[in-house]
Amino acid sequence: MEFNSRKIFGIFIALSTGLLVVTIFFVLLIQAPPSNFVVNNDILTLVGKSAFQAFLSVIFSLFFGIIISWSFNRLNFFGRSLLVGLFAAAIVTPALVIGLGLINVWGRSGFINYMLEYFGLRPIGSIFGLHGIILAHTILSGAFVATILLARLNAIPSRALKIGQSLDLNAWKRFLVLDWPAISGALPALGSIIFLLSFTSFPIVLLLGAGPANQTLEVAIFSAVRLDFDLNSAVQLALIQLIICFTIILPSIFYLPNTIVAGMTHRQKWHDSKSIIIVQAIILSVGSLIFLSPLLSVLYDGLGQNLIELILKTSFWNSFFTSFIIGVLSALLCLTLALALSFAQVEIQNKYGKAALYLPIFAFMIVPAVVLSLGLFILIRDLGISSTIAAPFVLIIANALLALPFCVAILLPPIQAANIRYSKITKSLRLSGLRRFKSIEWPLLGHEIGLVLALAFCFSLGDLGIISLFGTDDFATLPWLMMRAIGAYRNNDAGSIGAVMLVLALLVFWLLPKITKRFSNAKT
Amino acid sequence: MIIRYFLTVLLLFSLSISSNAQEKPILYIYTYDSFSSEWGAGPKLKKRFEKKCNCTLKWVSTASSISALRKIQLEGDKSKADILLGLDSSIISKGELSGLFENHEIDTKSLKVPNDWRSDIFLPFDFGYFAFVYNKEKLKNPPSSFLELAQMDKDFKIIIQDPRSSTVGFGLMLWLKAAYDEDSNQVWADISPHILTITRSWGEAYNLFLKDEADMVLSYSTSPAYHLIAEDDDKFQAANFNEGHYLQVEVAGILKNSVNKKLARKFLDFLISDEAQAIITTSNWMYPVKNIDLPKGFENLISPKNTLLINANLIENNSQKWIDEMFEAIK
Repeated sequence: MEFNSRKIFGIFIALSTGLLVVTIFFVLLIQAPPSNFVVNNDILTLVGKSAFQAFLSVIFSLFFGIIISWSFNRLNFFGRSLLVGLFAAAIVTPALVIGLGLINVWGRSGFINYMLEYFGLRPIGSIFGLHGIILAHTILSGAFVATILLARLNAIPSRALKIGQSLDLNAWKRFLVLDWPAISGALPALGSIIFLLSFTSFPIVLLLGAGPANQTLEVAIFSAVRLDFDLNSAVQLALIQLIICFTIILPSIFYLPNTIVAGMTHRQKWHDSKSIIIVQAIILSVGSLIFLSPLLSVLYDGLGQNLIELILKTSFWNSFFTSFIIGVLSALLCLTLALALSFAQVEIQNKYGKAALYLPIFAFMIVPAVVLSLGLFILIRDLGISSTIAAPFVLIIANALLALPFCVAILLPPIQAANIRYSKITKSLRLSGLRRFKSIEWPLLGHEIGLVLALAFCFSLGDLGIISLFGTDDFATLPWLMMRAIGAYRNNDAGSIGAVMLVLALLVFWLLPKITKRFSNAKT
Repeated sequence: MIIRYFLTVLLLFSLSISSNAQEKPILYIYTYDSFSSEWGAGPKLKKRFEKKCNCTLKWVSTASSISALRKIQLEGDKSKADILLGLDSSIISKGELSGLFENHEIDTKSLKVPNDWRSDIFLPFDFGYFAFVYNKEKLKNPPSSFLELAQMDKDFKIIIQDPRSSTVGFGLMLWLKAAYDEDSNQVWADISPHILTITRSWGEAYNLFLKDEADMVLSYSTSPAYHLIAEDDDKFQAANFNEGHYLQVEVAGILKNSVNKKLARKFLDFLISDEAQAIITTSNWMYPVKNIDLPKGFENLISPKNTLLINANLIENNSQKWIDEMFEAIK
């Protein structure tokens, strides 16, 4: 086998992540006295229900993601990029913020019922229950799907479009011939990620779950750790979660079709028939209403008088800068790792090898936050490092790894496409390493790199799980501050902090891809 | 360049956390989030105490008091914790069983806690009663017992917390157990149609209630005092239940491992001083454990007809079983 730095670097990252996951379980098991843990029927029922819920969330998210990205791709209007940014911001807003925003709109005293009452109509049914959970997950994940697929659709070369137009393809034919090949490569990874997110969803399921009928395994794990300090059961439950998630997503990992079309993202010209344009406009209007109303309600709630009082507090700025610095570093780290992994994915031909590269980063994502936090805490302790000193580094690394599956899902399809298109040139010119990246990939990936940075930044911004054991009063992040406000009757302050996080996420998603794209184009 | 800059900032940042190179001793108090937060009693207590102790007080907070205990357990010998503040009367057995605490040796004669609640290891510093809070303007006839609650209109909704993740939710489970013992599961089954949702934490439940998603929320009988005093809003009240209300006493304990035991005792003394008790009353929104003048507004709160309490050891031995039974009953 020839020496291939891309392969080796990617394998190294996958191995290290895998090792980290194994170590976390290992230190917890050493710590834990054996317990009389048994897999009972309740746990199996829980697993079944979670899987069903997650499955529905995947279907709805993919469906709405596809039709929304399709409409965005065709229509061009003022404020389009801002609207796209708004959609993208949904995935990274802390789940609790989305959940509460959803209730602002759909709840018993929410906006919809307010309007219905105004017109003398009967109120809608309760948002609490399985349908509420799935709606929340669809909003969170569907918007993410739409963002990624839109980037894929925007990358269809204009050449192909011209031919398509000259063949007089109708909307459906065009979708089958041009769009589907462009987006299908991203779907298995996206579906897997959404499944994992929904399966392990914690705040939303509890908030909207309407009681014990809709619980997840994570809650049971949380309880084992927290109430009983039964680390052994927690680890075993976490392992069950790991095994189940893997069994379900494994086929999709093996089935990773190559993306065939590639090109720089660009504005496209395509003439659809009038009726199709009307359909697209309706999809976007209704979609925007459903997807964005919870976010807008969060902004409306939070950006009032109260915000001024909040931003006069030093604790707010401390948290703000802590969150910001951690977010930036975590984003840079995540981008590096995601690039390396995607490059290695492309280099490795064997499909088992490809899957093996994926597994560790998915594993990291499936490990419940509370187990992750505990394991890292014990690991740091055993290494003899003070947890206050380690806290920022742990947060940066853990958040970068958590965002990694999402970022690979964004980067891999365009990198695959670039590889297919330019592999002959790179071979004949003997381009490798950084030079290959600079001259071939960077110009093609400008937009996606911005997207990855934005996503990883916001992921870290919204994190609540890992910090739980590491935070001290000198070291607190925005979501943490928000939870504290909620825990002290200060729901207005909490609302303002939520709104600030949302605005930050929005700005980042709107601006970063533009900036990186401009830079990358300037280089060519 | 940017990376290097940020790394430097980060390094300085973590150093500033760790290297408090002062001669003053540092008292580390582990507690739950909302106590030490901006909005809680923590910062005010720190300010007052540091004036007289010639020391630095550091709050170390986790999501809940029990997580703080777990953190100390995990840190083992290396833990800097001098005091754990915030465990409550229903989970003190977990603290006692850990063997991490020593007797507080504080004179508690002057303390006034319902049921004459005492412990050699843990010093009580405030108390409250679990209660369902409602909006007087929207709910004219609140239920006056669990049985009445069960018979309310079909659309009548309450929000409660998960006993596995919230001390308030745990408290409700004990409340029903104390009031109905063997029959509590039947009562759970009867009220279950009225449960809108079971949240992870008290804060989420209360947030939903303030958004008017439900008619009542499980909270404390002192919650209305917050709205009255801090927000000048008198529309909230707690429903007075005929069965009586379950008592929650919050406590603090000194760790055997502490290197500042003298200072720690000084803090506990301060914690039950009139000055500190007044701060806790209007920052943590609970009753003081001493006979101090209550702030105006507290006289409007309900006084329970009966104080319910279950022995901590009994709780420790049965809680898992009770939680399972409860979930089975409301399935």
